[in-house]
Amino acid sequence: MSDNPIVWRIASVLFAALMVALWQLEANLELVSQIYLPGPDRTFHALVNGFHSGVLLQRTGLTVERMIYGWLIASLVGVLLGSMIGISSLARAYLHPFLEYLRPMPASAIIPVAIPILGLTDTMVLAVTSFAALWPTLLATIHGFGSVEPRLNEVSRILRLGRLEFIYKIALPNALPDIVAGMRLSLTYALILSVIGEMLSGRDGLGSWILFSARFYKAPDLFAGVVLLGFIGYVSALLVSGAERRLLRWRLKENRK
Amino acid sequence: MNQHAAPARVPAAPSSRVWRFPRGLVVPAALVVAAELSFILSGYQSDSLAPPSAVVVALVQGLANGEILLATGQTLVAAFGGLALGGLIGLIMGVARGMFWRVDQLLDVSTEALRPIPSSALIPVTILIFGFGFRLEIACVAFSCTWTVFILTRAAVAGIEPRLMEVARVLRLGMFARMLKIVLPAALPRIFVAFRLAAGLALIVAVTTEVAANPIGLGAQMMSASQSLRPALTIAYLVWIGFVGWSLNALLILLQHNVFGAAGATGASHER
Amino acid sequence: MSALASPRLEKQPVQNSAASSRLKAAAPGGETLISLSHVDVRLGGRPVLTDINLDIRRGEFLCIVGGSGCGKTTLLRTVAGLVQPSGGTVAVGGEPVLEPRQDVAVVFQDYGKALLPWRTAAGNVALALEAKGTPRALRHDIIQDLLAKVGLNGQGDKYPSELSGGMQQRLQIARCLAQSPAVLLMDEPFGALDAMTRQALQDEILELVAQDDATVFFVTHDLEEAVYLGDRVIGLAPNPGRVGIMLDVGLKRPRDQLTTREDTHFLRLRRQLFDFIKETEA
Repeated sequence: MSDNPIVWRIASVLFAALMVALWQLEANLELVSQIYLPGPDRTFHALVNGFHSGVLLQRTGLTVERMIYGWLIASLVGVLLGSMIGISSLARAYLHPFLEYLRPMPASAIIPVAIPILGLTDTMVLAVTSFAALWPTLLATIHGFGSVEPRLNEVSRILRLGRLEFIYKIALPNALPDIVAGMRLSLTYALILSVIGEMLSGRDGLGSWILFSARFYKAPDLFAGVVLLGFIGYVSALLVSGAERRLLRWRLKENRK
Repeated sequence: MNQHAAPARVPAAPSSRVWRFPRGLVVPAALVVAAELSFILSGYQSDSLAPPSAVVVALVQGLANGEILLATGQTLVAAFGGLALGGLIGLIMGVARGMFWRVDQLLDVSTEALRPIPSSALIPVTILIFGFGFRLEIACVAFSCTWTVFILTRAAVAGIEPRLMEVARVLRLGMFARMLKIVLPAALPRIFVAFRLAAGLALIVAVTTEVAANPIGLGAQMMSASQSLRPALTIAYLVWIGFVGWSLNALLILLQHNVFGAAGATGASHER
Repeated sequence: MSALASPRLEKQPVQNSAASSRLKAAAPGGETLISLSHVDVRLGGRPVLTDINLDIRRGEFLCIVGGSGCGKTTLLRTVAGLVQPSGGTVAVGGEPVLEPRQDVAVVFQDYGKALLPWRTAAGNVALALEAKGTPRALRHDIIQDLLAKVGLNGQGDKYPSELSGGMQQRLQIARCLAQSPAVLLMDEPFGALDAMTRQALQDEILELVAQDDATVFFVTHDLEEAVYLGDRVIGLAPNPGRVGIMLDVGLKRPRDQLTTREDTHFLRLRRQLFDFIKETEA
C-alpha cells in the first residue's frame, strides 16, 4: 500500500464521496424518514432552487455581512484594547483575574440582557455578535503582548529603543501569532452568533432561513442552509489561514525544521 | 540610585504586612459601585437594566426558592450528557486516527467538511429530529465537543514519545494491549485537558441552545425573565452563569493538578 | 569596534556613526575603560556580590570564572547596566553606568531568545543599526560586511530558526558588533554549543577581537576556555561573590587550539584555576 500523501488525499476524497453515496442509498431506502433526513439529491435541489430564485443568495449575503462586520469590530477593539492592556504589566495585574473570570462565560448569555435594551433589531444582532467575537481576540492579544521574551526586553533596553519603537518592532511581531489565532476563533464565534441572532430576532439571513425551514418541516431547505453555513465556515477559515501564512512566514520555517 | 544602602536588614515577615485589597477585585468592584451609583442618581427607572443591589436580591431570592438551582441542574445534565457522548466519540476518533496515520488521512476530507458547520446551525436540525427537550441539547453539545476532544486527543496520541511505541513493538504487544497499556496512559494528561476545555464548551453550547430555542435550563430562564421585563433577575442569571462556568473550570483545573501534577500542565491555558 | 581604534586593519569597513567614538578616540592599550569600585549587588534581598574592585584596560580580554552561584553572570549584567549595584560604582569610560548603553553590547548565552524570530538574519543585524540611527543608505553594506565577518556570508535572508545553534550565536555576535560597541560583554556565549562549534567560535572571536582591538568581558564556566581566550582571568568565590583569584595569562598570541593548550604554562594556569574552584566549592 503506497504511503504517498497525494494518493491518500485522493483516497480521502473518494471516501467522502462514498459517504455521500451511502447517504443517498439510505435516502432511497428511507431507513430514516425523509421528513427528518432528506437525501443528498433533494438537498442539492433545494440548494439549486434557492439560488435560482435568488433567495438563498440574499440570505447568505446578509449572514456573511453580519459575520464580517461583527468580526471586524471585535478585531479592532480587541487588538487596540488588548495591546494597551497587554503592554502594561500594571494593567495586566489589575485586569487579568477579572478577564479570566469572564473567559468561560457563554457569550450568548448576553442576548437576554441585550434584547430589552436594543430590541429585536439588526443592531442587537451586531452588538451581540461583536461582543461574543471580541473575547478570543482580546484575550489572545493581551497574552501576546504580555509574553515578550525577557531577553528581548533586555536587548531593547541595551539598544535604547523608544517605547513606540519597542511596540512596533518587538511587541507587535511577537504578539502577531497569538492575535491571528485569536482572530480565527473570533470569526468562528461571529458566524455562530450571527446565526443565533438571526434565529431569535427573525431578521433575514441563513439563521432565520434554517429555523423557519425546521418549523415548517421543509427538511431539504434546512439541510441546504446548513450545508451553506458549513461552506461559509470553511471558506472563512481558509481565508484566515491564507492570511496567516503570509503574515507569519517565519513561523512556517520554524515548524518545518 | 542609592549608593549608600544600609547593611542587610531582615525583610519584614509577610504576616506583619497590612492586608491589601486584592488587585484583581479593584476593577470589578469599581464597576459595581459605579453602576449602583448611576442608578441611585438616575432614580431607578428602567425596564432593561437593574442596579447591582436589585440583582443581588433577585439572585438570593432565585436561589432560595430553588428556581435557579433547578435550571442549573437541567443545564448541567444536558451539558454533561453531551460532553460524555461527544467526548466518547471524539476520544475513539482521536485515538484511532492518532495511532493510524492511514485511517486519519482517509477520514480527513469527510471530517473537514463537517467541522466548519457552526454549532448553532445544528439547532434547527435537532429541533426537527428530536423536538424540544434534553435530547436536542445533548445532541448539539455532543456535536461541538466531539471536535475539541477529537483534535486534542489526536494530537496527544500522535505526540507520544516514539521511544514508548518502540518498547511496545519490542514487547510485541497487540493493538488493544498497546492502546490500553501505553497509548492511553501516556496521552492521559493531555486528554484530560481536552475534556476540560470541552467541558467549558459544553456549558457554552448548552446555554446557547437554551437561549436560542430550548425551553429548559438557565438560558431559557434568562430569556423568560428578560421577556417578562425583569432585568434584575435576568442579570442575576447572567452573574450566576458566569459563576457556574468559572467554578466548573476552577474545579477541573484543581482536579487536573491533583491527579496529574506538573505533567498535566500542558495545553495552552489561554485557548478557549 | 570600528576601524578607528585599530591601525592594523587593511580594509576599511563602511564608517559607522560617531555616537560611540568618544570612548574609542584615545590610543589603544593602557588606560582603564571599565572600573568597578566597591561594588555590592543584592538580588531578592540576598547579597550576590560583595566589594568587587576591578579595573579593565582598553583592549583587554578579561575572563571571569567561578563555581555555580558565584555571581559571575550578575557581575556581567551589572556592568551592562541591567542590574543596579546596591553599593559602590560601576563606570565605563569614566561615566557611571546607571542604565544600559548602546556602546556596551551583550552577547547572551540563550541566543535563540535574544534574536528576533520574525526577522531574517540581515533584519536582526539591522535592528542594531536602526537603534543607532545609521542612515538607511549605508545599512545594507554594513550588514553584509558584518555577516561576512562572522562567517554568515549569504545567509542574510534566512530566519534564525533556519540556522544552526552556532550560526545563531554568530548572528547575535554580528548584531552586537553592529552596535560599534566599546565593550563586548559575553555571558557564557558558547555554553550551549557542541565542542567542535565551540572551538571554532573561540578562534573566530579571537580574530574579530584582534581585528578591532576590542575590550571583552567574557564569562565562562570552562576554565580552559578562559585561559585560552583571555589576557587576564579572574576567579570569583561564591556566597557571596567576591574576587578570589586574579591571573595574568601571558601566553603569546595568536593562540592555537593545539599548541597553546599543550603549553606547560597553560596547564599550570589551568591547574591553578582548577584548585581555586575546588577550594571555593568545598
